[in-house]
Amino acid sequence: MTTNSINTFFKILENDNICFAYRGSFNNAILSMATELVKNNIGEEHAKLKNKISFLMIESFQNIAKYADSDVLEEPTDESDFFMVRNIGSSFYIVSANLIENSKIDIVREKLEKVNTSDKKELNQLYKTVLTNKQLNEKGGAGLGFIEMVRKTKGKLPFDFVKINDEKSIFFMQINLTNPKTEKEGESLAGIDEVKLIHKMVAQDNILMYHRGNFTKEAVGPVLKMIEDNMSSMKFKAQKKAFHFLVEILQNISKHGYEIEDKREGLFLISMKNGQFEIGTGNYIANSKVENLKKQIEQVNNLSNDNLNNLYRKYLREGRVTDSGSAGLGLIDLARETDENINYEFEQLNDKYSFFSLTVKL
Amino acid sequence: MLKKLKLTATDDLPLVILDAKNNMFRITGRILPEDGNVFFEPILEWIRTYIKEPNDLTEFHFNLDYYNSSTARMITKLIVELEKIQEVNKDVKVIWEYEEDDEVMLERGEELKSISYLPFELRGKS
Repeated sequence: MTTNSINTFFKILENDNICFAYRGSFNNAILSMATELVKNNIGEEHAKLKNKISFLMIESFQNIAKYADSDVLEEPTDESDFFMVRNIGSSFYIVSANLIENSKIDIVREKLEKVNTSDKKELNQLYKTVLTNKQLNEKGGAGLGFIEMVRKTKGKLPFDFVKINDEKSIFFMQINLTNPKTEKEGESLAGIDEVKLIHKMVAQDNILMYHRGNFTKEAVGPVLKMIEDNMSSMKFKAQKKAFHFLVEILQNISKHGYEIEDKREGLFLISMKNGQFEIGTGNYIANSKVENLKKQIEQVNNLSNDNLNNLYRKYLREGRVTDSGSAGLGLIDLARETDENINYEFEQLNDKYSFFSLTVKL
Repeated sequence: MLKKLKLTATDDLPLVILDAKNNMFRITGRILPEDGNVFFEPILEWIRTYIKEPNDLTEFHFNLDYYNSSTARMITKLIVELEKIQEVNKDVKVIWEYEEDDEVMLERGEELKSISYLPFELRGKS
């Protein structure tokens, strides 16, 4: 992961009020984390959609066939399933991408085309038929899950298949749910091509999960809680440290991030490669804070681990020196826990604020 | 006698029991408030009063799963206050309880021990 990839991610997701994605092995802990996260981050104007969104997320999850037995976070592979939920304007999108054998593509395509071209009455009829006639289902009639998704959203299910080799393809599917109360005339829907692009980027950078949203104090708490719950079954040092990194980094965004319309927009990503975690974040920061932050990161990057330990212990007992160019405990702690430098980049966007991206390896 | 201070645990705050009468001093759980000052101020206030007339032996138990950097500073502040009990010739001891396989909490205990000037026991629990 590079600061550049954070920048690109942020730009692709620029209009997302919330976007959460996960790639890896799936289990119920991930599902409950995702549904809680989305519930907690849905704007007031969409409150009435909460239950429907949860329902559709669960349907979509169940659509991703491979459920892992363990609830340990595993490193994503080329075969990992992908799940994403996002909100842009009045619409919510629930996306899944999973491997499918090429020989089964035609059956799935037929099912989806059937539900996508049926009207309400036909769907109800189809639903009844499938419920009462198992045989039809097996022969390739529409699956109940697909019918339910279409009935609940009153829309179509965009889908696509991307061949990866002679045996397998990636099956992309998106559920669109629009809030009729807030929908503006001419508001267009995000297409599935963007999902394919995001999926590609996520795979390239070995991303395990990312979250784009509001990083105020109130919003960060539940996010951390959920990640911790998801890690709590593990005592592995790396995972505890990953959590610690997240706490420090996210609380830093919520403290120092630049506020636009009561929101502190931010993005964080966790990647995992060869057993090593990497965390990346991106957020806005006031131009007036850039120089000091740069100095602080440079300071900790240039100190040896011994010196960082000494500085940390000194600050523990004596408190931080009130010089804004000197790093705080959180930053010193990050620096001493990582063997590599903290990578960062500032991009000035206007006369008020800049985009600040950071990556750190555990 | 100083009134007992009890704070119940929440998602990001620990259970705190400071009870001079029953000689019980415990902080248990996880601590990750964005601003450690707010949470710790009443605790430090209680300790500052207590150390004026401490019990013969004060055993302060930490049993923490996790805490953030802003809390690390506050825990140290608390330990620095406890050190003062020795000035009135009473005994004080910190007991740092951690789950045996939790290397992170052990390392943190070791670090706090290294900067403390009082008896500091690391107690692994299985």
